[in-house]
Amino acid sequence: MKIKHQLAIFNAMTRLLVILVLWLMLPILVENVVYHHINNSLLEKKKKFIEHLNQEEINDFMENQDDSTQTFSEFSTLHSEFLVLSKMPIKPHQKKTTFTNEYRKIENEESEYRILQHHFTYGGEDYQLEIGSSLSEVNDLTFVIRLFIIIVFVVILFITFLADTFYIEYLLKPFYKIIDTKIRRVNEPETFDHTPIKATSRDFRELDFVLNQMMDRITEVFKKEKQFISNVSHELLTPIALLKNKLENLLQNQSLDDNAVDKIAGSLKTLDMLKKIINNLLLISRIDNNQYELNEEINLREIVSDLQEDLQDRIEDKDIQFMNEMENDFVFIGNKTLVHILIYNLVTNAIKYNKPKGGIIIEDGFADEHYYISVKDSGIGMDESQLEKIFTRFARISSDQEGQGLGLAIAQSIASFHHIQIKVKSVLNQGTTFTLLFEKAN
Amino acid sequence: MNVLIVEDNKELAVEVYDFLCNAGYICKIANNCADALEEFGSNDYDAMLLDLGLPDGDGFEVLQTIRKTKSKIAVIVLTARGELDDRINGLHLGADDYLTKPFALTELGARLFAVIRRIHGFTLNNLSIHGFLLQLQDYKVSFDEIPLSLTKKEFDIFQYLVLNKNRVITRLQLTEHIWGDILEVNSDSNFIDVHVRNLRKKLDKHTSIDWFETVRNVGYRINE
Repeated sequence: MKIKHQLAIFNAMTRLLVILVLWLMLPILVENVVYHHINNSLLEKKKKFIEHLNQEEINDFMENQDDSTQTFSEFSTLHSEFLVLSKMPIKPHQKKTTFTNEYRKIENEESEYRILQHHFTYGGEDYQLEIGSSLSEVNDLTFVIRLFIIIVFVVILFITFLADTFYIEYLLKPFYKIIDTKIRRVNEPETFDHTPIKATSRDFRELDFVLNQMMDRITEVFKKEKQFISNVSHELLTPIALLKNKLENLLQNQSLDDNAVDKIAGSLKTLDMLKKIINNLLLISRIDNNQYELNEEINLREIVSDLQEDLQDRIEDKDIQFMNEMENDFVFIGNKTLVHILIYNLVTNAIKYNKPKGGIIIEDGFADEHYYISVKDSGIGMDESQLEKIFTRFARISSDQEGQGLGLAIAQSIASFHHIQIKVKSVLNQGTTFTLLFEKAN
Repeated sequence: MNVLIVEDNKELAVEVYDFLCNAGYICKIANNCADALEEFGSNDYDAMLLDLGLPDGDGFEVLQTIRKTKSKIAVIVLTARGELDDRINGLHLGADDYLTKPFALTELGARLFAVIRRIHGFTLNNLSIHGFLLQLQDYKVSFDEIPLSLTKKEFDIFQYLVLNKNRVITRLQLTEHIWGDILEVNSDSNFIDVHVRNLRKKLDKHTSIDWFETVRNVGYRINE
């Protein structure tokens, strides 16, 4: 996940948490404020009632007695308020005035009330005064507030999420630019762009600066490496050329006996092997140093049919049935010489490690977003431990085989240079299948 | 035919010199750019074998200077720098051929012959040996005007051996000539023998070919 997404998600999460806490807390706060307000108004009503209290009024209340304890005297409309005066002995230590929330049934309608209970003594008699104020409106109000808050918060969350995302995107723009135009090009120091990145944050300007410095060093090392390889090839290949030519001239000497001729021929063979090893190692190092251009259109089907022609004598020599079953004209951009070597190495291996009268099948097709080409032989195959080291330089699967074990190392280098995946499947004594997977977009 | 060998490795230069002298060329050696240019200015050469890494400069510089004159000299670049860029650069600058080190002397001989023939428009497009006539441009071989049907590889082998007649040609030299400087490390192949065997069968139908000699363990030789 990209850093901008992580930041945006983190911001959204923290905001969500704040909203959740507020959403849970706010009704409590609202209730407290509202209750405080109601309590005050109830106290005021009580104060007015007590102030104007006289026996006549008490009797007035008592006349409308419904049952032994309660007398309803006054209602505001819609039962939002009531006032009850009843005779009730005062218990010792009882507080004079208390507030409670209770459900009351007033005229067959039950609802929640905030009730002030006041105990007092008048004319030697104990009375209890209850003034109630309906809470249903408050509850409605709390619900509305909660709803309102949640809507406002969701809107805020959405807006700030967008704002955050855009701002983070804007802030990180130089960062992604550095990755796309600089770090990804580390493998091609020649094409590195040294122009400074425009960034508002100092961190990115610094990163860019340090990166430019690093690239300068890499370019320098890269140049030296190239120079070194060129020097090595020259220094080693010239003496080999000299030896080879000397021996070739020596071989023309008619007075040599068979034994001497054999020795010269053997030495020439060794020199030839040495030359090929050097050339192969140079090839690998050149590929690994990206010293080849990837700009040719390559038709794999053409390459395979050319190869078949080239290798016809070897195929016939082993009496191998070679089946080219390629059906697609897949074209991709790369280095033709290298791809030729890659497929050449796979096919010659398939011939070399095949059984007499065996078979080689070359197929292609599309699978899982990839174009693939597979070289399948009915050869000696390999076991797990052999499979593990086939791409290692100088690894040979059996000592009695010719070759220095560089063919597949080269194949591997060429493949990774072209971003081609190589997959190998092998069953001992049954055969091996090499599959090359190409990016379809290429 | 005059050939100037420009090579800073003196021993290598001498080997090439010996080989070319034996093949009938008149040779001279130059060890650096300055000598090469001086030789080129004072004598008339048909061909130059040019090494790229020279002590006082790059062989490409010599090549550029030579190409500014109107000389028809054939130039074969001999170098250890086998990279495609170098090859392309060399050919662009006017080299006629490019041979990477280490090369087989016989390969050099064959290429030199081809280049000189091309440049001077020689009518030497036909080679003849013991009654066989090779038409180099058309890849055709005939015996007493009876055409032989040779494969491309068989023709290449025959031509290479004839161009280097009286010399032992190793299997490796033939392999490289036929398949090029293939990177396969598996050099000890007997495929060349199969082609030679087929070639000999085809030649044998027309005349006795005891001049087509197999040198035990080494290779082949065509004696004139």
